[in-house]
Amino acid sequence: MSVPENGKSLVGLAAEDEVALCWLTVDGRLLGIDTRQIREVLGPRTVQAVPLAPAFIAGVLAYRGEVLTAVSLRCLLDLPSHSQESCVLVLDGGGNPFALVVDRVGGVVEIDVKSLVATSATLGTGSKALFCGAYRTPEGLLVQLDTNRLRPEHLSETGLLERETAGERGR
Amino acid sequence: MDDLTKEFLAESMDGLDRMERCLTELEQRPGDRELLGEIFRAVHTIKGSTGFLGFNRLELLAHAGEGLLDSLRAARINATPEVVSGLLQLLDVLRQILKLIELTGGEGTRASDQDSALVALLKRLNGMEVEPNQEERGAVVEVRELPSATVSGASAASLPAYTSPTQSGGVSEQTLRVDVEVLNRMMNLVGELVLTRNQLLQVHSVTPHVAELTRRLDSVTADLRETVMQARMQPVGHLFGKFPRMIRDLARSCGKKIRLECFGQETGLDKSLLEAIKDPLAHAVRNAVDHGIEHPSARALAGKPAEGVIRLQARQHNGSVVIEISDDGKGISIARVLEKAIALEIITAERAANMSKREALQLLFLPGFSTSETVTHLSGRGVGMDVVLANVEKAGGTVELDSHEGQGTTLRLRVPLTLAIVPALVVRSAEQSFCLPQGSLAELIYVPGRDAAASIEFIGDAELYRLRETLLPMLRLDRMLGLQSQKAEDAQGFYLVVLEGEGVRFGLVVDEILPPEEIVVKPLSPVIREIGFFSGATVLGNGMLALIVDTAAIAARAGMDRLPEQETVLFSTAPEMNLQQSFLVFEDRRLESRTDRGLGREIEPGFCVGAEAELGHATERKVLPLHAVERIESVAAHQVEYVGRRALLRYRGELLALEDAGSVLAEAVPEASLTVLICHASENGRDHRYGIVVRNVLDVAMGELLEGTAPLCPERLALVNDRLAVVHEQVCLEHVLEEVS
Repeated sequence: MSVPENGKSLVGLAAEDEVALCWLTVDGRLLGIDTRQIREVLGPRTVQAVPLAPAFIAGVLAYRGEVLTAVSLRCLLDLPSHSQESCVLVLDGGGNPFALVVDRVGGVVEIDVKSLVATSATLGTGSKALFCGAYRTPEGLLVQLDTNRLRPEHLSETGLLERETAGERGR
Repeated sequence: MDDLTKEFLAESMDGLDRMERCLTELEQRPGDRELLGEIFRAVHTIKGSTGFLGFNRLELLAHAGEGLLDSLRAARINATPEVVSGLLQLLDVLRQILKLIELTGGEGTRASDQDSALVALLKRLNGMEVEPNQEERGAVVEVRELPSATVSGASAASLPAYTSPTQSGGVSEQTLRVDVEVLNRMMNLVGELVLTRNQLLQVHSVTPHVAELTRRLDSVTADLRETVMQARMQPVGHLFGKFPRMIRDLARSCGKKIRLECFGQETGLDKSLLEAIKDPLAHAVRNAVDHGIEHPSARALAGKPAEGVIRLQARQHNGSVVIEISDDGKGISIARVLEKAIALEIITAERAANMSKREALQLLFLPGFSTSETVTHLSGRGVGMDVVLANVEKAGGTVELDSHEGQGTTLRLRVPLTLAIVPALVVRSAEQSFCLPQGSLAELIYVPGRDAAASIEFIGDAELYRLRETLLPMLRLDRMLGLQSQKAEDAQGFYLVVLEGEGVRFGLVVDEILPPEEIVVKPLSPVIREIGFFSGATVLGNGMLALIVDTAAIAARAGMDRLPEQETVLFSTAPEMNLQQSFLVFEDRRLESRTDRGLGREIEPGFCVGAEAELGHATERKVLPLHAVERIESVAAHQVEYVGRRALLRYRGELLALEDAGSVLAEAVPEASLTVLICHASENGRDHRYGIVVRNVLDVAMGELLEGTAPLCPERLALVNDRLAVVHEQVCLEHVLEEVS
């Protein structure tokens, strides 16, 4: 049996039967993001609102000499935008980093890919496109977010949230 | 490509640029030993390096060139125009090969890449006999795919469509030569920065030490920034250096004599900006040669020296760099510009008659506009000035054109020193901070609460601020951004930021003005750029993030046009060819809406025009040309009769339709006395009479109708007694009449 020689293939192997997810909560819902997609967890941060921006844009924030666009996960999930606590994550976004505002970030869990069940049908249809899988865990169903679909560019292209945006403007 | 080759390329390109400058100078001062030495060195360096890099083609050419230059240096032959042309041709081929190496790594080995013709030419110029097998003896000149093949006699006509001499994206343009001294200073400062940070990290409590450390940190950062900026700065001379050759070739092809004078070559400009204005500048120079300077014979007739002069001047001025291209040629004929503009249906003949010289010259910046009768290969295709303007504006600059017929033309480009760090005004609106680049800032005005009402005029929904005899469109930043300002009441006073740019001038109302800061511009993500209001973001001194407002976009969003025809009319209340006439000034609407906007009390009935200012009211007044009004009648409210919803008045045996835009009738008690204007209008040869119920007749005064106010408001406007008023619309009257009949 051949032994993997470098770290890369080790990770690759690990990814095949185990996936490391960083879990977070939004309005009590348990969600996960692949740790490889996360650049940094910033913790609570003030996000500068941008007037006239689509509703899913929470604002902008400065991060290491760059200005990142922050996406509000609450808005994407059709939840009221106000919450007691908030936490900002910086996601890789395939070289174009962006920020994600969630309620709380927990720890990292290693999950056996065998526990993957289909994307839950109990979630709303509009936001279902944001998920790429759900895992059964002892704590409950952990839904994995597809970070690629969370990219602000992707969100505005797909027009997924036009309905919500219009609603926000109308108010 | 290995580092050695890269270095060779950068060095050789630099050498060739120097050589080009020297060659054109050499023509003026043949036999200048210093110039010859410089040229010789450039060619010699190439020859020296090619040997061990294995570029045989380059070596062969450089060798031939060196031989010729050696003879020149030893004064065996003279630097005749033919010799200079031959050397320039050599320069072009060398440059072409260097580019080929940069692109492909090789110097080209195809059959077409043979240089025997050129080598033979150089040898012949050197007074050497060319070997008999050299067939191309006489017509040596055709060196294929050369960007410019200008050699004595043969090819004067085949003038190149001068593409920019160097294609962008090459090694030599993405690299920057920085003075080692500057780099050393930078390194020192960075070291200083690290030390200061270390010390700051060790400070746990607030001690007097902190203040000193902060000061040091402040000065180190300022110095460091300055030095980095310096490293990016390149002398404008780099740009100017291309022109002597270009002008020489262009002038030869059109049979003109032109001398180039350059001033302020040492003026520094950010590398990226230098690149940005390269093409506009080349275009301007080309224009000056082709359209500006006349043929020697025409110049003689005009009593000017046969040799024309093009002057390139660069200087720093108020944090920006001004580059002027001026010629002493024939100038631009305003009459012809206007003629052409009318022919192209850009403006009407009446408009042309009223145009100032400045406005007329602005027409040249419109796309597709050219006064040239003949399209030459140099210019005159009508593509040009608009592109120049667009390119310079993209780099954050402006373009001005000035011309005196018979004396010459001056084109002035104004560009900022750098784009990375800009001074900006920080303003607050609706509890949020925004940055306004100071480049577009004209002035700041604080309007105290007690003056607010008197200084704002309304035309429909549009607000105008009266600023020194001109009316300034007012925009509210919070409303434009869809924000709710806490300070809704103007009565508390407000700040007006007067902004100028892209042909428009307007006032932006903000809540608060903070001290200006030098901000570092950070790009925004495409999603936020798409909003179209923000050009970037920055971190302010207090650590907060602020969005940079794109003032031009705001003006565009507010529907302010930048068409030159409207520009002056929009913002000037000066009469334009309209004869003074008498107007009846009246008021038909109660101005409740004004009180909502916090402009003071309601307007009491019975005030008169003269007292307005003292009372502090902003009013929208209406006027009617006096000749349209027959009588002013006092009518008791109960005399008005209604058919359906239409109000009618029996008046001297006629049935008059009453117009009541201000709903005076609805409010009036039966005993009240109404003021009705009896007016007449003729439509299709029929005379009508109708009545207008008004609240107050204010005055009869002289005034004039204003033209071209359509972009500001749909109604017609008149300037009466030096104040704006809406002209009562006839259209509405006809509508009323139709309803009645």
